[in-house]
Amino acid sequence: MKRAIPAVIGAATALTLVLAGCGGEDEPADPNAPVTITLAGWSLSSTPEFKTLADGFMATHPNVTVELKEYDAANYDTQMTADLAAGTAPDVYVLKNLKNFYTYQSGGQLLDVSDTAKDLGSVPALAPYQVDGKAYAVPYRQDSWVLFYNKELFGKAKVAPPDGSWTWDDYTAAAKQLTTGLRAAGSKATGAYQHIFQSTVQGFALAQTPNADLLSGDFGYLRPYYERSLELQAVGAQPTFGTAKTNKLTYQAQFGKQQAAMMPMGTWYVAALLNQRKSGDADRFEWGIAPAPQFDTSTTGTAATPVTFGDPTGMGINPRIGKSKVAAAKAFLGYVAGQDAGKALAGIGITPAQVTDAVTAALFGLDGVPQDDLSKFAYATHTIKPENPVSKHTAGVQNVLDETHSVILSNSKGVEAALNEAQNRAKNEVIKQ
Amino acid sequence: MWRNTLAGWSFILPNFAGFALLTLVPVVVLFYLAFTNWNVFGVAEWTGTANFRRMWGDASFWTALRNTVYYTVFHIPLTMAASLGLALLLNRKLRGVRFFRTVAFLPYITSIVAIAVVWNQLFSPEYGPVNAFLGAVGIGHPPGWTTSADWSMPAVIIVGTWRYMGYYMLLFLAGLQTIPTQLYEAAQLDGATPWQRFVNVTIPGLRHTTFFVTVMLTIESFKVFDLILVMTDGGPGQSTLVLSQYIYQKGFEENQFGYASAVSIVLFAICFGITVIQFMVNKRRNS
Repeated sequence: MKRAIPAVIGAATALTLVLAGCGGEDEPADPNAPVTITLAGWSLSSTPEFKTLADGFMATHPNVTVELKEYDAANYDTQMTADLAAGTAPDVYVLKNLKNFYTYQSGGQLLDVSDTAKDLGSVPALAPYQVDGKAYAVPYRQDSWVLFYNKELFGKAKVAPPDGSWTWDDYTAAAKQLTTGLRAAGSKATGAYQHIFQSTVQGFALAQTPNADLLSGDFGYLRPYYERSLELQAVGAQPTFGTAKTNKLTYQAQFGKQQAAMMPMGTWYVAALLNQRKSGDADRFEWGIAPAPQFDTSTTGTAATPVTFGDPTGMGINPRIGKSKVAAAKAFLGYVAGQDAGKALAGIGITPAQVTDAVTAALFGLDGVPQDDLSKFAYATHTIKPENPVSKHTAGVQNVLDETHSVILSNSKGVEAALNEAQNRAKNEVIKQ
Repeated sequence: MWRNTLAGWSFILPNFAGFALLTLVPVVVLFYLAFTNWNVFGVAEWTGTANFRRMWGDASFWTALRNTVYYTVFHIPLTMAASLGLALLLNRKLRGVRFFRTVAFLPYITSIVAIAVVWNQLFSPEYGPVNAFLGAVGIGHPPGWTTSADWSMPAVIIVGTWRYMGYYMLLFLAGLQTIPTQLYEAAQLDGATPWQRFVNVTIPGLRHTTFFVTVMLTIESFKVFDLILVMTDGGPGQSTLVLSQYIYQKGFEENQFGYASAVSIVLFAICFGITVIQFMVNKRRNS
């Protein structure tokens, strides 16, 4: 019996090695041989971008089949991490949140795709995916935050609509005037709606404030942004954080059902609003896009370039992919970050990584998209800064700041005290670790 | 002899294999990971007691521990009182008693997400019926409940008590039905008041049930997770952050699985220690 145990372990080890050898796929790749690559996506029935990209690529690469594998949108990164660790992840996967790129890259879960990235030319959103001069993913989407506004509610409240020259003080004043004007006109809509996301305050503050640095652990730059948000809540110019949270207000309903005249949000909302208008979940009304309000007047006006924020959405290759599939997977990455895919994405209301004139024309050619010049300017012209700089500390600092966001906007703690506590926690619990 | 042994093993093997694979191995791995720095990918780097030393100076860990104790200290007596009260009420021969027992049990089997959504709306500071009622009875400044750092934990405790009281009511009901009715009759003949019968007959008769309920409630309270995650997500700020959510945050959101494992061991040690003390106290009482 005692001799049997080592024999069983030996046999099992040998079997494992044989099986591992079988899975190697070391045969040389034939570029025209049929090949199937798998692609991760989420909520496939309501998120058409993955099928659009797969169909677009397969149309020009008849020997390649792109097979979609569905994940849960809310738990995408958790599930993907588990699948990568277990060796069952798809060949190509989406980097949904930039703050998790560090984990995937430093954990050796992304293939070097520098050659593909080099062929793309100048793509600003590529930089976050580069480490030590090598690219580990390519961006296919690059949303940016803008100001959506309801032209009809502005008219009803008799307030001049945004003209691209607004600072945050102008926005705050307009929100108050709108609320007063709308009340006088018998409407219950508020002047503004800033959703409960920490991004609606912190993203703009980080992007626009000179020398602001998320990873410095110095969060003084958030103060004026929070003071303005609290002021809007206090005067009823936007729903309180508590109401939005406890009543589960959705930003789609707040703007789409004309409950708010203005709403800072990412450009992904264009596609959502168009779809909701078709389905009846949103009202039909005149709306427009304006540049996000600015830190000061140095970046306002259509002669300047407004500063906003937005993280790219990228795709990378699972290093466990079979060698015969690598070329097809890299070709797919080259396609999704390129101009043809950009036009295809714009055609369904999604902002691709490279916004060109053709992309802008495709998006503004959609039924229901506003046609005014300011909307086109806001969509196409801006400096986009990342909300989540790539670092091993980003997720930890963002968690601290998310808790700070709720404690300030719920009026549980003063701005000064909450920011001081956040700074201490970020430095001691995250950055020093 | 060998045949009997083999037959015995063949019966327990499927269950034991499942237990070993899904429980024993992960627990052993957890103990190992607590002494490493591991981000799920690659090799876990052995760091000795570094994770436990880090915990000592981690203010968020202490906040989570304090909140967990806060929840436990209030949740256990409230749930016991509510469930025992319900059990006493529904142990009578009343018309429709089965219906009321089912109604009392319903919260326990209702989706936690649905519970959180409904209770959050009930607690809404501006539009919720709870504050509307408090306003109607003359309370000028009703609490902000889940949106106030001071009231969020009481709000969660109230909902936690409401959710679990039906389940523990069933256990108490079962316990009550094991108490011989002759004892009550004898006490009544001796002139005992209802309160005296409760204290001298019911409470001693429920001793085993009460012990079981206390142990289960203690473990369940220390491990509370889903209710808080969907109701307040630990906020506002860290006002309802509990240890199990802190473990989730460090592990699955920040990919610090080594540190998360170390905090899990502390949570395990607390639950284990308190349960052992409860068993020792109970053994002493029995003897």
